[in-house]
Amino acid sequence: MDPAERALLETTVGDAVANAEPGVPADNVLARLGWREMLAAEPRDATAIVFEALGAAGATASVLDDVVAAALGLQPSEDVAVLFPPFASWEPPGRQDGSRVCATGLATGRVAAGTELLVACGGTDPGLASVPRSAARIAPVRGLDPDGRSYLVEVDHEGAAAPLAPDAWLAAVAAGRRAIAHQIAGACHTMLELARTHAREREQFGRPVARFQAVQHRLADALVAIEALDATLVVAWDEPGPTTAALAKAVAGRTARAVGAQCQQILAGTGFTTEHPFHRFLKRTMTLDGIFGTGDQLTVALGRELLAARRVPTLIEL
Amino acid sequence: MDIADFRSQLHAWLDANHEQLAPRYEPPGTLDDHVAQMQRVKSVLYDAGWMQWGWPERVGGRGGSPMLRTELGASIAARDLADPGLFSLLEVLAPTLSDFAPPALAADVVPRLLSGEEIWCQGFSEPATGSDLASLACRAVPDREPETASRWIVTGQKVWTSLAQYSQRCVLLTRTGTTESRHRGITAFFVDMDTPGISVVPLEMLNGVPEFAEVFFDDVVVPADRMLGELNGGWAVAMSILPYERSSCFWQRIAFLYRRLQMVVDAVPESDGAAAIVGDAFVHLHALRARSRATQYRLAAGGTLGAETSIDKVLVATAEQAVYDAARRLLPGAVELDDSAAGEMWRNEYLFSRAATIYGGTSEVQRNVIARRLLDLDAPE
Repeated sequence: MDPAERALLETTVGDAVANAEPGVPADNVLARLGWREMLAAEPRDATAIVFEALGAAGATASVLDDVVAAALGLQPSEDVAVLFPPFASWEPPGRQDGSRVCATGLATGRVAAGTELLVACGGTDPGLASVPRSAARIAPVRGLDPDGRSYLVEVDHEGAAAPLAPDAWLAAVAAGRRAIAHQIAGACHTMLELARTHAREREQFGRPVARFQAVQHRLADALVAIEALDATLVVAWDEPGPTTAALAKAVAGRTARAVGAQCQQILAGTGFTTEHPFHRFLKRTMTLDGIFGTGDQLTVALGRELLAARRVPTLIEL
Repeated sequence: MDIADFRSQLHAWLDANHEQLAPRYEPPGTLDDHVAQMQRVKSVLYDAGWMQWGWPERVGGRGGSPMLRTELGASIAARDLADPGLFSLLEVLAPTLSDFAPPALAADVVPRLLSGEEIWCQGFSEPATGSDLASLACRAVPDREPETASRWIVTGQKVWTSLAQYSQRCVLLTRTGTTESRHRGITAFFVDMDTPGISVVPLEMLNGVPEFAEVFFDDVVVPADRMLGELNGGWAVAMSILPYERSSCFWQRIAFLYRRLQMVVDAVPESDGAAAIVGDAFVHLHALRARSRATQYRLAAGGTLGAETSIDKVLVATAEQAVYDAARRLLPGAVELDDSAAGEMWRNEYLFSRAATIYGGTSEVQRNVIARRLLDLDAPE
């Protein structure tokens, strides 16, 4: 995709998602724009553009299912939901127990409508099972971010899983992490823009608070964190692999925390009410941080890998 | 030359010539040792033709993308063959001569810097001029009307001048207009350090190393043909360094920081606590490296670098301190008590890393720039 095409698509998707009916998932809007075809043809641009747009608009859609299904080598479809690991975990959510497949995990809104649920199984016998929706007990999650439309899912199914190559799950986790990191990046851009706008409009002591250096430095720190995340995401696609994806997700976690904290402080009383949209982005990023491992967990896991291998990889060169 | 080819040929050559390049002093070495090592490394690299890559042919270079010389500096830093802070001073000196000196002068002197024959210093900061460079006061007065002057007389003081006591030359910023003229009244000169009237007093830093010096100018005569750039055009000269400082120098520093984190990882027993600290430093370094790579690419593609490099500056300072904080926390006593060569190294470098948020524009100044220029927070509604 050349830069002009990419910019056009960015605008088209961004506008469509932002203008979608409030509270309604953006799946249909994205399907009309050819999301699954885009994902197949241009996975990098499709993932980046769609997830950043969702993050920036604070919208939801069951598109992570498509990203992970594709990374597992399957044909994404609106009928196929994916079972994700529980919050703050990246292990396969299922296990094979004799002739049964048992699993606990999280799912997007697709699980409520889809006919099929993909369950990756870990342990000594990695596998991938396609389970009928009827074999899953699902419960909507309210939690911090009810608009995020997550479901807690339990599966107990009589049936076998097809063998899954050991690296396939790692690739699926990496793809999921890149996508979520993009969504967090989009939300962080919006949080900064909300705080920046507020700081320029809100007057105290006879001038916009944006003129105060203490305010400026907080917003500057937020921008530094966001720019670092954006650069890390470029690398996650230029040199795709489990490590660069984990790093992008780790940076996303710390960026969300820094940007959320700085912007909340600048938005002050205004940002503390539900009349202002800030809270939606704060809650969304806090929840997204736990999908496929929190930034903190990944930071420790990366440190453990370095210590075990006694090697600090540079990963990218000029 | 393609940078990937350059890298693989360079690393093969560095492997093959390790004996010749390796430090010859007893570790950790004094500043004298480090300076001598740097000059020897430059000379060996110059004789083998590596130092000339990435520099324009008009100053004795072999041409090619400036990323080639960035790669060279980073490879030297990653192998601990020369101090990257000293080695990368090239990047803030040679481009100034190459871009602003009379062509014959540039062609004469730049090869001397690259080959390790000479050391130069940069006379910018003054006692009353830190972050606010445009307030500098070191005065240059012409012997007659400025336009026809044959020589300029310089009087004043510089400070924080790296390696001044070793230098043969100085790229000097002087006040040629009124003090109120600020950045419009500054002129740059290329001054021989053996000119009568110059005295150098090394400054010992808190790590015991006299890397910086005060330089005093007392009626120092500088020929008019040593002016760099235009009369009262010194601000442009000073600002022209920024893109190299914020790209090439940073990439070399980053390579060095990876090396230091590697040394921590080599020395620390595995534990969850260590993993958290190492992981944190690694995440900082990776984000910085990702950002800096994009900056190198932008510069190499002909882009102009400006206020957005303040982000790189904040990230490099943060990552540097994270790496040395990790070292101090995970190698207990290395900084505080260890009198071995390794301890001396960690102590010196840990202490120096505290300046990462101060030199080259403090982190506060960078945040001001980011707020005003990138976020437009000072503009009226």
